[in-house]
Amino acid sequence: MKAFGDIWRSNLFQKWLMAVSGLLLVLFLLGHLSGNLLVFLGREQINEYAHGLRTMGHGMIIWVVRLGLLSFFVLHVTSAITLARRNRAARPAKYHRVESRASTLASRTMLYSGLLLLSYVLYHLAHFTWGAVHSEYYAQACPPSAGCVDCIPDVYSMIVSSFQQPLISITYLLSMIMVGLHLNHAIASAVQTLGVTNRRIVPVMRILGPGLSIIIALGFSSVPLAIILGFVKI
Amino acid sequence: MNLRLHIWRQAGPNDTGMLKTYDVANVSEHMSFLEMLDVLNEDLIAKGEIPVAFDHDCREGICGTCGMVINGRPHGPVARTTACQLHMRTFKDGDEIYIEPWRAKAFPVLRDLVVDRGSFDRIIQTGGFVSVNTGNAQDGNAIPISKPDADRAMDAAACIGCGACVAACPNSSAMLFTAAKVGHLASLPQGQAERSSRAMNMVLQMDAEGFGSCTNHYECEAACPKGISAEFIAQMNRDFISTTFGGKA
Ligand code: HEM
Ligand code: SF4
Ligand code: FES
Repeated sequence: MKAFGDIWRSNLFQKWLMAVSGLLLVLFLLGHLSGNLLVFLGREQINEYAHGLRTMGHGMIIWVVRLGLLSFFVLHVTSAITLARRNRAARPAKYHRVESRASTLASRTMLYSGLLLLSYVLYHLAHFTWGAVHSEYYAQACPPSAGCVDCIPDVYSMIVSSFQQPLISITYLLSMIMVGLHLNHAIASAVQTLGVTNRRIVPVMRILGPGLSIIIALGFSSVPLAIILGFVKI
Repeated sequence: MNLRLHIWRQAGPNDTGMLKTYDVANVSEHMSFLEMLDVLNEDLIAKGEIPVAFDHDCREGICGTCGMVINGRPHGPVARTTACQLHMRTFKDGDEIYIEPWRAKAFPVLRDLVVDRGSFDRIIQTGGFVSVNTGNAQDGNAIPISKPDADRAMDAAACIGCGACVAACPNSSAMLFTAAKVGHLASLPQGQAERSSRAMNMVLQMDAEGFGSCTNHYECEAACPKGISAEFIAQMNRDFISTTFGGKA
């Protein structure tokens, strides 16, 4: 048996870490999406839901989830960058002509769509979690004037007033295209990385993966789209 | 037909090398691609120039020795066909053809189109075998093997070790080759005893040789002259991970 450190550093183990952490992030995205869609049910529903998340288990649960997400994210990004650098080093001299037969735009741009996602996630957290950017809309959730201490924050107003700004909506919509592009390759790829060989499952996943990526991207986009088109109002 | 060739010329491993342009005239459509290169080389020798070095042996698509990237595709444009079995009828008069060696850190160019594929041999040495005690040969049918298992083993064993999978992979990964070897022996009862250590050792040797990692583009599968399925890669992934976590593959 080899030392675990050698195995940990190997390409295949790093690839496995990337797939497992990536799939857990996809699961999170599905949960996140179902929460977002509560906007369409109205102000009370999404406000109560958001309040519930923050107070569940005396406010402990959200920290457990955040810690988990952070570690998956760090694992995913570090393994992705490690492997991308090794892959580049594996082909020092390039071809003059290359005709690809099987790869896709999504599969060839994974590192770039991933890095754009990384910057998007930081922006998104700064916007809705930390209130560090667009703080005028963040303030709508809990106006200091209301002297709000134990009340339920009005995240509905925060979301709607933010997305009524075309520039913010466009930034989010473009980012969702990146999510769709990344997951277009990622989901089916992870199934292969995890070693699924079942001949009934694999062809289904090669269709379901890209399908799911479109559903996730469209689902998230529906919120800013509905707001900018005026279907959802303050 | 008359063709214009752009061929990678490199005098030795440490030479920088460059693409050089050659015109060949009167190429018959019945020639194989290597025969066309033979014609060019006769020409070069007659002119007192150094002929283009390329690897070849069986010239019937079974040894895996030949290999060059033709117009951006390993072994050329025809699927499931080695360069020696590629015929000039797939080209037409006036075509320009780019001919380059396999490109990978683990396949250093020795000269022109010839690369050193010793890294494949070293991967095989770490596990691509079944250990047997010496003594009398076993009876032919002493170990029964089911038809599906035998078929699966044969599908994997079709790999001729040509290296086109590495050449086609944007990451110069050797996953398809290694997975074919691992999958071949993993399909047979004789391969079970060493199945876990084989998967582990061969995978780690790939890294040590400087091959890249798989990003599941499946360019390898499309380029493989023997149509080895990427399903074997999934199986090797699984064998490797279950070995890592202490279980057996
Ligand atoms: C919401 C966030 C993200 C999710 C849900 C996600 C999901 C995934 C999944 C499921 C895979 C497939 C793993 C496999 O091929 O086996 C993957 C691959 C990858 N991800 Fe992410 N990812 C996310 C963010 C990122 C970020 C921020 C980066 C930044 C570097 C990144 C870079 C990559 C790369 C380079 C690959 C490898 C692609 C390949 O092997 O072809 N991802 N991702
Ligand atoms: S898997 Fe296919 S392309 Fe790769 S070495 Fe074997 S025969 Fe050649
Ligand atoms: S020379 Fe043997 S496969 Fe081409």
